[in-house]
Amino acid sequence: MNFIKRNQSLNFVIFFFLFSLVVTIASELAMGLFSTSFVKVLGKTMMLCLAAIALDLVWGYCGILSLGHMAFFALGGYLIGMWLMYERTKEIVISAASEQLIPLTPEETKEAIGNQIFGVVGGSDIPIIWIFADSLIIHLLLIVIIPGLLALVFGWLAFRSRVTGVYLSILTQAMTLALSLYLFQNDSGLRGNNGLSGLQNIPGYGNLTQDVISVIFLWLSTFALCCGFYLASIITKSKLGNLLVGIRDDEARVRFLGYNVELYKLLIFVVTAIMAAIAGSLYYPQAGIVNPTELAPIASIYLAVWVSIGGRGKLIGAVLGAAFVSLISSFFTSGQIPNIDFWIININWVDWWLIILGLSFVSITLTTQNGLFGLIEKVKERVINK
Amino acid sequence: MNDLLEVRNISVSFDGFKAINSLSWSIGYPELRAIIGPNGAGKTTLMDIISGKTKADSGKVLWDEVAIPLTQKSEYQIAKLGIGRKFQRPTIFEEQSVEENIIVSLKNNRGFFAALTYKYTDQEKFRVGEIASTIKLTSLLSKKAGELSHGQKQWLEIGMLLSQDPKLLLIDEPAAGMTTKERNMTVQLLRDLSKTKSIIVVEHDMEFIRNLGCRVTVLHEGSVLAEGSIDHVSKNKEVVEVYLGR
Repeated sequence: MNFIKRNQSLNFVIFFFLFSLVVTIASELAMGLFSTSFVKVLGKTMMLCLAAIALDLVWGYCGILSLGHMAFFALGGYLIGMWLMYERTKEIVISAASEQLIPLTPEETKEAIGNQIFGVVGGSDIPIIWIFADSLIIHLLLIVIIPGLLALVFGWLAFRSRVTGVYLSILTQAMTLALSLYLFQNDSGLRGNNGLSGLQNIPGYGNLTQDVISVIFLWLSTFALCCGFYLASIITKSKLGNLLVGIRDDEARVRFLGYNVELYKLLIFVVTAIMAAIAGSLYYPQAGIVNPTELAPIASIYLAVWVSIGGRGKLIGAVLGAAFVSLISSFFTSGQIPNIDFWIININWVDWWLIILGLSFVSITLTTQNGLFGLIEKVKERVINK
Repeated sequence: MNDLLEVRNISVSFDGFKAINSLSWSIGYPELRAIIGPNGAGKTTLMDIISGKTKADSGKVLWDEVAIPLTQKSEYQIAKLGIGRKFQRPTIFEEQSVEENIIVSLKNNRGFFAALTYKYTDQEKFRVGEIASTIKLTSLLSKKAGELSHGQKQWLEIGMLLSQDPKLLLIDEPAAGMTTKERNMTVQLLRDLSKTKSIIVVEHDMEFIRNLGCRVTVLHEGSVLAEGSIDHVSKNKEVVEVYLGR
């Protein structure tokens, strides 16, 4: 039993390695069975799975229902998006100017970039927060630093005042909403409701087609997901994992055993926020666009729904829930399924999907203890017993 | 017998109600002490103040020979100094095994990263075995703590306190919900432990207190009313009036 458990993360890595290998072979690069956009859907789904792992650690294990982790996810997207958009625009500006006789001065280049990016919100100055937008390395660091700092400050304030349970969830939701509303403003410096777009192109590699880029991001996503799962399984199997579950089930006991519960909560909140941000930084280049609606509280609620449908408190459950529900969800809302006229009701799947999702959420939480994962375990047990 | 813990002039009020009223009191080392008193006398509040759960409005709590003031410390810091707290309702980690419950309680580095890199040593395995036999749960180590009987849960919680290797144990109503046999075993356990530790027991059950055979402190309206052997305090007229005679 222990042997199987110990190799769970190895099995996970092998599975996703083989999965990506199969997808690569089936992609436009080789056999052409899977379209490029489908490969991107799979890559994006993996990053949603990573976000689900992060939420499962902080909620399923430690009992903190954060409705802010998709905000960290979107922030990660914004931070990589700034570099992608700035450098890409710079390329376009420079190549457009190469036909002119006199080359552009650095100031003129900057102004042209500013016009290109911020013209849509009626500006041409590059805001101060874009100061490092020409450096990939700094922006990669910022993906870790900014969501990490936000989580640190927010968590410190919340946990120090011993806000718990549903009040904490409301607080995290308020943070998400505030951030989203701020980004909606045109003078936020991040293009208001337009968000950042054109993120599917990699600056400096203009000759790469989307077929190639989609496969590159598929592998990056696989790598990130496997690293995230491995880290999470190390945490959950260590004494730290026991303590997190202890904090979830009986916070006071952990405190009176001499552990600084607030510090533990804060650190796990920060670590999972960074995990979500990294997931977002790989998701949005595959989506091509990030805008403030991505930060809306509903996104974080969906994440919580996925985790509980999959099986809260089980890492595989979170991955299963996120993959399963988000894939079905994009299938139903893609408009590929014909609407059904049934008696006087017209079943329009885009709307009806939400009803199906709601009903299955209620029935799964009512009938099974550990979501889909628990259901699979139960079926396995029955089969073995027979 | 030196004082291990001294409470000096402590007062606490909740919304104008004086739960503890300039209480001064101390316990030696090692010593077994029972605290009794009618409902609302301040027994649990006193334990809350010692363990840091409630902050005193005024007064001091001094710990050990060097007289470390506890009033400004938080719960986890007080626990680390060697004060273990058992609650009225058994508080254990129900989803985890008995062994895991004891392991997380064992005295060692309480840091986040130390917990991440923690290795369960043979020495600690031996210690867990010792504690399990003390609390009579040796055969149930791998069982989920939530599946234990009520009395066994109470013992497990005491075992978790012991794993912390404290100098002082604060035990709130240990006999609640126990069978007579379990009660007698608990009395024996507490008496054995009190040879090397100081223990404060809050209990309503007079027979239980009598069996403990220790000094008794009677609290009434947030102050000490009487102190002495159970026979001594039960002869005290005031005590009879406020508590025993009712």
